[in-house]
Amino acid sequence: MTVDARLASDEVGEAGTALDAGVGAAAAGATRGGRGHRLGRAAPWAVGAVVAALVVAGSALGLHLSNVHNGLIAASFTAVGVVVVSRRPGHGEGRLFLATGLAHAVMFFGRQYGAHLTDGGGTLPGATWVQWAGVWPLPLVLVLTGVTLLCFPDGRLPSPRWRPAVAAMVVAGGALSLTSALWPVEYADDSLSLHHPLDIGGYPTAQQLWNGPGRTAYLLFQLAWVVGVVVRLRRAHGDEARQLRWFAWAVAVGAGAMVLGLVLFRSPTLGVLAVPVIPLTAGLAIVKYRLYDIDLVIRKTLVVGAMAVLVTVGYVAVVLGVGRVLGVSAGPSPLLSLVATAMVAVAFEPARRRVQVAADRLVYGRRASPYEALARLSAQLSGDVPHVDLFSGLASTVAAGVGAAEVTLWVGADGELVAVASWPPPTVPGPPLSSTPRALASLGDGGRTHVRPIVHQGSLRGAITVTRAPGDVLAPSEDRLLADLAAQAGLVLDNVGLGVELQHRLHQISVQATELQAAAKRIVAAQYEARQRIERDLHDGAQQRLVTLALSLQAVADRAEAGGDADLAARVADARAQLIAALAELREMARGIHPAILTQEGLEAALGFLAERAPLPVRVDVDLDRRLAPDIEATAYFVVSEALTNAAKHSGASAIAVTATAMTSTSGTSTAMSTSGPGGGGGGRLVIEVSDDGRGGADGHWGSGLQGLVDRLAALDGRLTVHSPPGGGTRLEAEIPCG
Amino acid sequence: MRVMLADDAVLFREGMARILLEAGFDVAGQAGDGAQLLELVLAQPPAVAIIDLRMPPGHATEGIDVAVEIRRQAPDVGLLLLSQHVETHYAVRLMTEFDGGVGYLLKDRVSDLAAFAGDVRRVAAGDCVIDPELVARLVDRKRAGDPLAALTARERTVLALMAQGRSNRALSDELYLSAKTIEAHVRNIFTKLDLPPDAGDHRRVLAVLAFLRS
Repeated sequence: MTVDARLASDEVGEAGTALDAGVGAAAAGATRGGRGHRLGRAAPWAVGAVVAALVVAGSALGLHLSNVHNGLIAASFTAVGVVVVSRRPGHGEGRLFLATGLAHAVMFFGRQYGAHLTDGGGTLPGATWVQWAGVWPLPLVLVLTGVTLLCFPDGRLPSPRWRPAVAAMVVAGGALSLTSALWPVEYADDSLSLHHPLDIGGYPTAQQLWNGPGRTAYLLFQLAWVVGVVVRLRRAHGDEARQLRWFAWAVAVGAGAMVLGLVLFRSPTLGVLAVPVIPLTAGLAIVKYRLYDIDLVIRKTLVVGAMAVLVTVGYVAVVLGVGRVLGVSAGPSPLLSLVATAMVAVAFEPARRRVQVAADRLVYGRRASPYEALARLSAQLSGDVPHVDLFSGLASTVAAGVGAAEVTLWVGADGELVAVASWPPPTVPGPPLSSTPRALASLGDGGRTHVRPIVHQGSLRGAITVTRAPGDVLAPSEDRLLADLAAQAGLVLDNVGLGVELQHRLHQISVQATELQAAAKRIVAAQYEARQRIERDLHDGAQQRLVTLALSLQAVADRAEAGGDADLAARVADARAQLIAALAELREMARGIHPAILTQEGLEAALGFLAERAPLPVRVDVDLDRRLAPDIEATAYFVVSEALTNAAKHSGASAIAVTATAMTSTSGTSTAMSTSGPGGGGGGRLVIEVSDDGRGGADGHWGSGLQGLVDRLAALDGRLTVHSPPGGGTRLEAEIPCG
Repeated sequence: MRVMLADDAVLFREGMARILLEAGFDVAGQAGDGAQLLELVLAQPPAVAIIDLRMPPGHATEGIDVAVEIRRQAPDVGLLLLSQHVETHYAVRLMTEFDGGVGYLLKDRVSDLAAFAGDVRRVAAGDCVIDPELVARLVDRKRAGDPLAALTARERTVLALMAQGRSNRALSDELYLSAKTIEAHVRNIFTKLDLPPDAGDHRRVLAVLAFLRS
C-alpha cells in the first residue's frame, strides 16, 4: 500500500505542478500523497467538507444560471473524488478530481458572492475582491480540468510525450490567469455584475491579447483532452478500454444533452445539468468498471437515441408534409396523427434492425462474416503457428465471428477441462487462466455464457464458452457459426495434439542425438588414447627388444667371425639384416597407428613427414598459432594421410597442396565463414584442405578409410566435403571446430 | 675414447655398452634419464654422450633437452642422439641449435658396430652425423620440377653423404676419390642446386638439409 501511494504520488506529480501554479495549490498540497497515511486519509474528507461548505454557502446566496455549472462541477467532481480516493487510496485520478472540484467550488462561491445583492440592493462586503478571486483562476482551472480528463482513468498522462503539452498548457493558463487577475478581460463578456477591483493601465492591449491568443488557448485546452482521450481510447484494450468507453459515453451523452437543449430550448441548461454525468460515470468506471457491460449500454443508447430521432423526424415529416399535400392545416389533426403513427409503426422494426446492426458495428468493430471466420481459422491451421498462438487465434476468431464480450477456449476431457486461451487476451501475460480442471456442466454461467462442447471423432476434446451481455441472445446464424467453429476447433485440437506428440518425439531424438554425439566423442578420444598407448608399448617393448636382439646378433656374428666360422657369421649377419628390415616395418606400423612426432611437435612437423614420404610432390602450408587438442590434431593428420594416399593411388595428379589453417569466427574469409559446421563452440575452426591437379571424378574411389574419417569428424562436430569434378582435380576440405 | 650412455631401456643400454666396449670404447657411465646423465657428464666429461631422444619422465624429447644442457655446461662433449624414428624436424633442429659435434641416428645403427663406431668418433671429432635413412628419404622426396634431376648419380651420392654430415676428407676416404674430385663434385652440386657457397661442414649440412626439406 505504501508503495502504491508513493507511485501514485509520482504519477500525479506532473499534474501537481500545474496545480501548484494556480488556485489548486491548497488542494494539491492537501491531496498530494506521501505525507503520511493519516493526512492522506483525512485530506479527501477535508476537501469534501470545504467544497460542501463553499457550494452550500454559495447556493444560499441565490440562483445564478451562468454560475450553476461551477457548483455542479464542484459538487460532482469532489463527491466522486472523495469516493474514489477513499476506495482506492492514493489513486491519482481521484486526487485530480478533488483538485478540480475544489477549484470549481472556489470559483462558484466567488461568483455567487459577487452576484448577490442584499435586501437593500447593495453588495456584500468585499464583494469585488471575492468575485475577482472566483474569476481570474478560470484559465488555470480549465487547464486543471483538462489534465484531469487527460489522465483518466489511471491518473497518468497517456504517455510521457504529453508532458511538454501539459507544461505548455500550464504556462499558457498561468499567463491568461495573470492577465485576468490584472485586467477585467473576463468581465467584458461574462455576465458579471461587479467591476474589476484593479484599475491599471494597458487594458485595451490586454483585452486584445485575451480576444486573440486567449480564446485560441481555451479552444486548444479543450482540444488537448479530447485528443488525449481519443488516443487513449484507440490504444486501450481490456479493462482500460471499458473504463474509457464509459467515459466517452458520458461525454457523448453530455454533448448530446447540450445540443438537444440548445436546439429545443435554446438554452444550455440541459447540457449544464448533464455535466455531473461525466464525473459520476468516470468515478463509476474507476471504481466499478466491471459491474456493467458498457458496450451494451452504449448500444442501447445509440439505438434508443437514433430511433427517437427517427420517430420524431418521421412523425414531424408526415404530419407537416402529408398535411400540406392534403391541404390540412398544421394544427393537431387526429387523422394525420393516426397516419403518421401507422407509418412510423410499419417502418419501426426494419429501421430498428438496421440501426442495431450499425450500432453493433460501431461498438464492436467490423464483425467477421462466418465465411471469413472459417477462412481465417483454416489459414491459421495451415500456417506454421505455435499451438499457444493457435489457441488464442481460435478464441479471437470465435469472438470476431459471434461478437462476444468474452470467449474462452477449454481443452481436455470432461472433468479435466483447462482454460488455454481467452479473448480479449489477458492484459498481463503470465500464469495460466485457470489451473483447476472443470467439468463441462460447470462452465455455463446463468444465461450469459454459452457453452459449445468441442467433439472430435466421438470424444470430448474441449469446449468454447462465449459470454455476452445479459439479455444479448445468440442469433440463430451466430449459433450455427459457433457450432461450425467448434467442429473446426476439434480438428485444431487434434492437430495440436499431434504437434505436441511430434515435438515430444523430436525432443527425444535430439536428446538421443546429443547422447550419441557425446558417445562418439568419447569413442574418438578413447581411440586416440588407445592408439597412443599401442605406439608407446611398441616403442618401449617390441621395438626396444628387437633393437637389443640386433645388438646381440651382432655380438654373435663377431664371435663367429673371431672363431673362424665365416659361414655362421654370414648367417647371423643375414638374420640381423632381416631383423633390421623387420624393425623398419614395425617402425612404419607404429607410425601408422600413431605418429609420435604429432604428439611431440604438433601438426606442422607431422604433416611435413607425410609430405616427405608421399609418392607425389606435396606442398604443405600450415598456419597455426597454437597446439590444438590431441584428438583434433590426430584427426587432421589422418585426414591428410588418407587424402594423400588416395590422391597418389587414383588421381594421376602431378602435385598436391595441403593447407591447415586455424580460423576464428572473426577472421577468415567469408566463404569459409558460410560453411561453418554445426556446434562451432567458441567459433574457432581448423580447416584442412588437400587439393590435387589430377583427373577428378574421385567420388567413387573413396573407400572405407574415408568413411572412418567422416565418422571421426562427425564425432568432433566437424565435416568433410569432397569436390571432385571430372577433369577438375580433387579438393578435399575438412573442418573441425577447435574452440 | 670415453663415452657415456643414457637410455631408459636397460637391456638395450647394456647391449650397446658391451659392443662399444668390444670396439675399444671406454664406457665411463650409464644413466636411465637425462638428469642422471647430466650429473655423470659434468662430473667427468666424456668425449661423446650417446643419448636416447625419448626418455622419462615425459617420453617426449628429453634427450634433446639434456643435450642442450650438456652443450651449455660442457661444450666439448660430443652429442649423439638415438631414436626409434628419425624426423627431419629434429635433424634440422639439432643442426640449427648445435654448432657441430652432434649426431642423430636410428637405434638400429648401433647393431652395425663398425659404422656406428665411426659415427661416434666423427661426433667426437666435431663433425655432424645424420641418419642415412632420413637423408635417403629427403633425397628421394618427390619434388615438382625436381632440381635433383640435374645431378649425376655420383653427385647424388655425394649429396646424400654431405647431408649425412661427411666432410670432404671423409667423402674422399669413403668413395675412394681424390680430394680434388670430391671438391669438384661438391662445387657442381652447389651450383646446380643454387646453394650458398660452401661454408664449413656443419653449415653445409644445414644448408643441404634445408634444401632437401623445402
